[in-house]
Amino acid sequence: MISINIAIVKRKKPLPKWLIPLLSLISGILTSLLILYVVSHGSINPLDVLIAIGNSITQPNLLLKNYAMLLVIGCGLLISFKAAIWNIGGEGQFYFAVIGAAWFALYSGLAEIPIINKFLMIALGLTTALIWILIAALIRGYIGLDEVPVTLLMNYIAYNIVDYLVNNHWREQVYRYTRTPTIPVETWFTNIPFTNATLELLLITLVTILLTWIILNYTYIGLFIRTMGSNPNVLKTIGVDVSKTIIYVLIISGLLIGLAGVSYLAGDTHLISSPVIAHTPYYGYTGILVAWLSLLELKYLFVTTYIVSALINAGINIQIVGVGGASIVNLMIGSILLTYTILFVFHEYSVKIIIKK
Amino acid sequence: MSIKNSNFFSKQPFLVAKGVSKTFSTIKALDKVDFNIYSGQIHGLLGENGSGKSTLVKILYGIYTPDEGEIYINNKRVYITSPSVAIKNGIVLVSQTPILIDKFTIVENMLMSLKQYSLLTKSKTIYSFLTDFFNKIGLKIDPNTEVYKLSYTEKQFVEIFRAILLNAKILLLDEVTTFLPSSEKKKLYSLFKELVKTGRSIVLITHKISDALEICDYLTILRRGRVVLNTPCSGISIDYIRKNMFGETDYINSKIHVEPVSNKLVLKTENIWVRGGSGEYRVKGVSIYLRKGEVLGIAGVTGNGQIELLEAIYGLKKIEKGRVFIENTDVTNKDTGFIRKIGIGFIPDDPIKYGLSIENNIVENYALMETNSFLINWSLFEKNAREYIDKYNITTPDVYYPVKLLSGGNLMKVLISRELEYSSKILIACNLTRGLDEYTKYLVKKLIYEKTKNGLSVIFTSDDLDDVLEFSSRILVMNSGIVVGEFSANNVNRDEVEKLMVM
Repeated sequence: MISINIAIVKRKKPLPKWLIPLLSLISGILTSLLILYVVSHGSINPLDVLIAIGNSITQPNLLLKNYAMLLVIGCGLLISFKAAIWNIGGEGQFYFAVIGAAWFALYSGLAEIPIINKFLMIALGLTTALIWILIAALIRGYIGLDEVPVTLLMNYIAYNIVDYLVNNHWREQVYRYTRTPTIPVETWFTNIPFTNATLELLLITLVTILLTWIILNYTYIGLFIRTMGSNPNVLKTIGVDVSKTIIYVLIISGLLIGLAGVSYLAGDTHLISSPVIAHTPYYGYTGILVAWLSLLELKYLFVTTYIVSALINAGINIQIVGVGGASIVNLMIGSILLTYTILFVFHEYSVKIIIKK
Repeated sequence: MSIKNSNFFSKQPFLVAKGVSKTFSTIKALDKVDFNIYSGQIHGLLGENGSGKSTLVKILYGIYTPDEGEIYINNKRVYITSPSVAIKNGIVLVSQTPILIDKFTIVENMLMSLKQYSLLTKSKTIYSFLTDFFNKIGLKIDPNTEVYKLSYTEKQFVEIFRAILLNAKILLLDEVTTFLPSSEKKKLYSLFKELVKTGRSIVLITHKISDALEICDYLTILRRGRVVLNTPCSGISIDYIRKNMFGETDYINSKIHVEPVSNKLVLKTENIWVRGGSGEYRVKGVSIYLRKGEVLGIAGVTGNGQIELLEAIYGLKKIEKGRVFIENTDVTNKDTGFIRKIGIGFIPDDPIKYGLSIENNIVENYALMETNSFLINWSLFEKNAREYIDKYNITTPDVYYPVKLLSGGNLMKVLISRELEYSSKILIACNLTRGLDEYTKYLVKKLIYEKTKNGLSVIFTSDDLDDVLEFSSRILVMNSGIVVGEFSANNVNRDEVEKLMVM
C-alpha cells in the first residue's frame, strides 16, 4: 500500500531574500487580477490593468514624489520594525508634522524670511511630530502598553485634531471651504521640472537614507535596535536601559516620518483639507507595506518602494483609461501583503512529499 | 535488560541511523554517521563541543531533517519530520535548551504535551505524579509553579518527567545530568536503570566522561561530525576516551591553583534578602565577601538561592533588605548599567535567553561589550573577535557567522570570552561551565587564572559540584537561601559539601 505524506521541512539553505517579495508581488498582482475578473463578470480586462501598471513603471518622473515620500516613511518604519517595535502610527506622526509646519507657514509671521524659513518650518513640523510620537513612546517605554493599538488609535485622534483645527481656527475665510488657506509661496518647496517631486524632498530623502544606513550599521543605537529585535533580554543583561531604547527607536521613527509630513504640505498640497480621512494619501499605512516587503533590509526598500509607487501611479492610469476605479490598487496591495505573508514561510521551509511503499 | 548482562550483539537494534549527514551553512555538523540504539541499554554519546552530538539527537527527534541518510525503527524505514512524528515513534528528546511555555505552570505544560496524545489529562493526577518524581530525586519544586520561575536545570527536570510520561521508548538526554550533586545524580541514574529494565533505551549526552563510564552500557564518540569510536563501556579507560574525544590528554595533569592576590575586599554583601520569581524569599540574609584575585565558588542544589544572589549583586534582582558594596561604593539596587560600568561582567543562567543576541553574528555580539560610545569601531571588534576565537578555541567558519548556527558549547564560549574579556574587576557567573567539554573547561580555567593574577575576582555558581571544587579558591555552600558552609580550596571535603547541600 502506498501512503503519501506532506511534510514541511527546514531548508538546508534559505531561499535568496529577494525572491519572496518578488514572488509576492507577481502572485499578489495576478491574484487581484483574477478576483477583479471574476467579480466584474469579465468587464475588467486584466490585460488593460497590466498595461496600466506597465505604463506606470516606465514613468519614473511621475513616480518620483510617491517614491521619495514612501522611502522616507519606509526608513522610519524600518528602524522601528527592526527593533520589533511595531509603529503603526505613521499617519498620526505624518499629520502632526503637517500641523506644526502649517502653523509656522500660516501664523508664525516668520514664513517670509528667506532661506531660514524652510528650515524653521521643518524644525517646527518635527517638533510637533516629536510631541505626538513621544506620547506613544512614553506609554510603551515606561508603562509597557502594546504599541500597536496605541499608535494605531492615535492616528484617528490625530485626524480629528487636524479636522478640528481646519474646521475652526484655521479655516480659510474667503469661501469658507473646509480647508486652510494656501501656505505662502515662500514656504513652498521647489518643483523639479518634468517631475511631480521637489528638490527639498529629494534632499530630505537622501539625508534620511544616509542617516538610516549610518544609524543601523555604525552606531550603538542601531546595534541595540537589531539586538532588541532579536532578544531584548540581552540588552538588559549588558546594562542597556530597554525602556529608553524603545523611546529612542520610536522618536527616530516618528521624526523621519515627520520629515515626510512637512514635505507633503510644502511640496505637494500647500494646504490642509478636511476631513483628513477623505484626503490623506495614506502614506503612513503604505509605508508599512514597503518596509514589510523589504524584509526590513534597506537595500530592498529601494526596490519595493519603487514597485508600490508604480502601483499607486497605476491606480491613476487605470482611472484615466477608464478600466476601473483607483481602488483596484488597494485590492492589489492587500493581495500582495496576503501572498507575502503566506510565501514568507517558504523562505526557510520547503514542502516535501514523502511517498511510502 | 542491560548489555552488561546479556549478549548485546545477538539482538537487533531498535533504531538504526545509517549514513546521516547534516550541513549548516558551510559547517558539516555530521558526516555519514552510523548510530544504532538497542532496547534496554544506556548509550553514551560523547564528543567535544561542536562535534555534532546535539545535531544527531535533534535529527532523531525531528527538529532537523538530515541532508542524507536513513533512519529505521524495528527494521522499518521512518521519516522523522517533526517532534510529534518522533514522539509517535517513541522517541523523546530532553534538550540542552528547555522547550517549555514560560507563562504556564509545570502541570499546565504537562497537560499541553500529553493531551494531544490522549494520555493523562487530569491535572490532579499529573500534580501527584510530579510531586512523587521531584521527591524521588530530591527537588523542592511545587508542580503548580509557573515555568519562568524555575532555574535552567529545574526546567530540564520537568522535561525528563514529560519524557517519562510520554512513555518514550528512546529517551534522548542532552546534557541534563551534568549539574547534579552526586547524591541526586545517583537517584536519577537508578531511575534510568529502572527505565531501561523495562525495555526502554536512553541516549545520554554528557561531558562527564566518568559519568558515562559509570552508567552507560555502550559508547559512541563523535569528533568533528564523524564517529571515531563505537565501543562497549566495559574495560575502557578514561584516558582512551579522552584521546578519542580531544586528541590529547596532557591537559588533565596540568594543575592550576588560584589564590587571592591580596586581602583587599572587592565585593561585600551585608545581610541581603532577595525574592524569587514567585515572591518568596530565595536569599535570606546572606553576607559574603570576595577578595581581589579570588575565585569564589558557590555550591548548592539548583534552586537554593545561588542564582538570585548573583543576579541581585549584578542589579538584575531587587534587594529587599541589606546592602551590597563593590570596593567602597554602595551598589545596592543600582541598575545593571551602573554596575557594569564599574568593570563587572556577568554570565547569566540561561545563555541563549539572556546572554547572546542569537540573530546577530559573532562580531556584533562582541560589540555589545562596550556600549558607552555613539559609533561602533567595527575594525577593533573584528580584530578582537579573531583573537578570542583563537584564544577560546571557538569552532566557527567566520567571525561574521550567525551565533544561532553555532553549537551549544561554542555559543557558551562566545559568551564567556565576551564577559571574561570585558570584566576588569569582577566576573559574576551563573553556571560558568554550562555546556563546555572537559578540555574547554580547562582552557577557561587557565584564562581565568591568568586574569586573576592581574587582579580580576570571580564569583560563580555551578550546578556541577566538580566544577565548583576544581575552579574555586574558596567555596561557599548555599541551602534554602542561606550560606551553610565555607571551605578553602585546600581543606575542602566533597562529602561534607554534599551533606550541607542536601541537609
